[in-house]
Amino acid sequence: MFVYMIRRLLQMIPVLLGVILVVFLIMQMVPGDPAVLLAGEGASAETIANIRTQLGLDQPVMVQYFHYVTDVFTGDLGTSLRSNLPVFDEIMARLPATIELAIASIFVTIVLGMIAGIISATKQYSAADITIMIVALLGVSLPSFWLGLSLIYYFSVKLHLLPVAGWGTWKHVILPAITLGAGGAAIVARMTRSSMLDVVRQDYIRTAKAKGLRETVIVYKHALKNALIPIITVVGLQFGYLLGGTVLVESVYAINGLGRLIVDAIRMRDLPVVQGGVLIASIIFVFVNLLVDVLYRYFNKRIDLN
Amino acid sequence: MTGLAPNEKKPLLQVNNLKQHFPIKGGIFGRTVNHVKAVDDISFTIFEGETLSIVGESGCGKSTTGRAILRLDEPTSGSVLFEGKDLLAMSKSQMRDMRKDLQVIFQDPFASLNPRQSVSQILGEALAIQNVIPANKRRERIIELLSYVGLRPDQIDRFPHEFSGGQRQRIGIARALAMQPKLIICDEAVSALDVSIQAQVLNLLKSLQRQFKLTYLFISHDLGVVRHISDRVMVMYLGKVVEIADKKSLFDSPKHPYTQALLSAIPVPDVTKKQERIILRGDVPSPINPPTGCRFHTRCPYAVERCKTEVPGLTSLHSTHQVACHLVEQ
Amino acid sequence: MPGQQEKILDVRNLQTHFFTDDGVSKAVDGVDFSLNKGETLGLVGESGCGKSITSLSILRLIASPPGKIVGGEILFKGQDLLKRSEPEMRAIRGNEISMIFQEPMTSLNPVYTVGEQIAEVLRLHQNMGRKEAWDKAVEMLGLVGIPSPEKRATQEPHELSGGMRQRVMIAMALACRPEILIADEPTTALDVTIQAQILELMKKLQVELGMSIIMITHDLGVVAETCDRVAVMYAGKVVEYTTAKNLFENPRHPYTIGLMNSLPRLDEDVEELQAIKGNVPSPFNMPVGCRFAPRCPHATPLCETRLPELLEQADGSQVRCWMYTPEWDGQTKMATETGV
Repeated sequence: MFVYMIRRLLQMIPVLLGVILVVFLIMQMVPGDPAVLLAGEGASAETIANIRTQLGLDQPVMVQYFHYVTDVFTGDLGTSLRSNLPVFDEIMARLPATIELAIASIFVTIVLGMIAGIISATKQYSAADITIMIVALLGVSLPSFWLGLSLIYYFSVKLHLLPVAGWGTWKHVILPAITLGAGGAAIVARMTRSSMLDVVRQDYIRTAKAKGLRETVIVYKHALKNALIPIITVVGLQFGYLLGGTVLVESVYAINGLGRLIVDAIRMRDLPVVQGGVLIASIIFVFVNLLVDVLYRYFNKRIDLN
Repeated sequence: MTGLAPNEKKPLLQVNNLKQHFPIKGGIFGRTVNHVKAVDDISFTIFEGETLSIVGESGCGKSTTGRAILRLDEPTSGSVLFEGKDLLAMSKSQMRDMRKDLQVIFQDPFASLNPRQSVSQILGEALAIQNVIPANKRRERIIELLSYVGLRPDQIDRFPHEFSGGQRQRIGIARALAMQPKLIICDEAVSALDVSIQAQVLNLLKSLQRQFKLTYLFISHDLGVVRHISDRVMVMYLGKVVEIADKKSLFDSPKHPYTQALLSAIPVPDVTKKQERIILRGDVPSPINPPTGCRFHTRCPYAVERCKTEVPGLTSLHSTHQVACHLVEQ
Repeated sequence: MPGQQEKILDVRNLQTHFFTDDGVSKAVDGVDFSLNKGETLGLVGESGCGKSITSLSILRLIASPPGKIVGGEILFKGQDLLKRSEPEMRAIRGNEISMIFQEPMTSLNPVYTVGEQIAEVLRLHQNMGRKEAWDKAVEMLGLVGIPSPEKRATQEPHELSGGMRQRVMIAMALACRPEILIADEPTTALDVTIQAQILELMKKLQVELGMSIIMITHDLGVVAETCDRVAVMYAGKVVEYTTAKNLFENPRHPYTIGLMNSLPRLDEDVEELQAIKGNVPSPFNMPVGCRFAPRCPHATPLCETRLPELLEQADGSQVRCWMYTPEWDGQTKMATETGV
């Protein structure tokens, strides 16, 4: 296990370099010269050339990439064109809200999804099973902005139970987390159901019954831990969609998070911020993937054998 | 048995110093850290028209040997001479041509038949590959093949799932026969069948052998079945041949302590014959780091110091009986 | 039957059917046998004969739906298990009646250590604490002949060989000192040298713990090796029920005789095996008469139309075959006349 972790961490170095390269190349390909943009309309050719030298844009692409990589590793993501603050600080100010939202959403995805899936599997073909599977199908199909607006309409506007928008208290978290986590919960519910149905047919479940254990012990102790392996994979994949989803949900609920920062930066053509934001989001995703792989490995120790 | 002395018989397949080592990846950089020595330097000969059986317990390398001969897995080293030509030195296309002569029947008949093909399609495909019989005569030939294996002509358009396990194995046999092979490798071919059905298939294999002058390499863990079908028997343990002999001397006077234990471990369906049983201690060691010297020494009731250090070679007791054991040599 | 001993289990007219989209499968269709204290009873037959379904029915472990025990009685120490509530059954399973299965590779939960899995059954039935149950689990591992049991107890099933896992299954099944052990093909998946070890171990523990064993197997060698009495099953019914000695010395039912002749023997050579022709009937569509009649070399019109009863013979053996009834004499004649 230890050797495996070290190996996976080493493998991340090329992955991260690749991520940085892709982000860097995207910025190279964006039409328009950043120096011209920075200098503003009507600037003299001399000013533009000056800025270009300052930013190192007159150097070969390879050298620029090398500088960019060294900057990234020292935590220097450049300066925001709009606010003139370091991009790193801008992102760090916005990141906590997004991480809170992501954790709350993934919690919704896992808890809601697994409970629904287990009920469905243990009561296969019952009314509860059919209802859950229909709701899950809807959950997968509904666009999150529609769900978000509907939730606001019912719980905030009509029932006055929860705030319409903003961030700060636990009440602010509930609706965005449900909006963002619902789609994942539906997928996790379906995966939990099929995984559990597969596990309960295994020989060791028959052994557990022959030992005289109760149904609940068999389901939650003997079956669930074995059913987790494919569920973990699905949850890991969901995290990727979830990061993308924050952009929409933060806009719907007016949350000052990383997603909104990036959207605003794109609108304002604040390229260093876009670049930094995408980079940070990618790095988070890579680390979550690593975590999923390690968990997968932990729950599926039989892999170690071969 | 033909009554010929073995040296007068013509060898069909000669396996020389065959090794099959599967790499194990590991460590931080996923290098090959070790090998599973599934088959480790074995040599034997199959003569035309005979049945040679390979017996042994799981992990002894008997199935790996069969697969290596057919190059279903590429062997690590050694040579496999079929009618004098080395199969392992052949190109992929040469080997494809040779496969007509070397057919295989697997344990699980259901898994080796395409569920979406009817019997006539399965056998027709085999005939098309061989391409000796013109397309318009193939249906007749398929009906003929079905009659050889005891299936009715009206079953020709049925699908594998409509047959019982024993009948599916008959289809597998018909498919092998379609190629008019010289050698058929039967890899646990009757192991999945109930005894009453197993007996039908064993009888069929024997009568087909007489009818078509077939040679069998019969791989099985069931010594009763092996005794019934074989002319000669080879016993393997952890990738090595420990004993090879004609059927009579192997079953009447087994020489290797492992063969003796194996034979005595089988419960005999007879309450009056309570035989003395040699119960081996422990499990078969891992083929990754097999014991030094004689591989059986860790479980052998007679092991001496020499067995731990020196690998015993196969020595001939008489023309048809060879054994790899230091104690027998002396 | 030698019936002087104390009957611990008495199965009467057990019927377990499966209700599927393809129809009703009468997997077990009127099975009778009993188990005496301290003896080993063999349930023998080929795949689909209903022997495993019978054993699962005893502990009421049949998945329902589609399976259902539709009739009969299973008297355990005089009380009908089919009338017990589910909590009462749970108190019996793994405690008074235990079971081990064919596939040791898949019958243990892969994510818990073998020590935990054995301790679990002790904590459940014997009210032991965590520590006490663990110590007892280690003791059980030692009892079934696993070397360095303290270390093995902390390992997960994938770290053990097939033979070791079956020993663990036995340790788990015997932890609460059950009165009956049901062993469903316990050595079929194992190599013969390991099979010899396991059968030896089971015999030793049977004497030490004084338990009764129901041995479910397709292997007549295992029967000869381990069983006192045998019930041969075919297509959901018992066709011959006798002592192991009688079964091998004087097999009566044509199916039993056919099985013995089909078996390639280690101790003798025959040129051709006497195979039983044909295949077992579909459980959805059983023959109306004797279920073996379509494959039987002696079948007559009587056999094809009327199902024979399981009848006691002079030596106490029971056989379900018209050949051993007074009706048979007229039959053979009729059969020859009609040219069958």
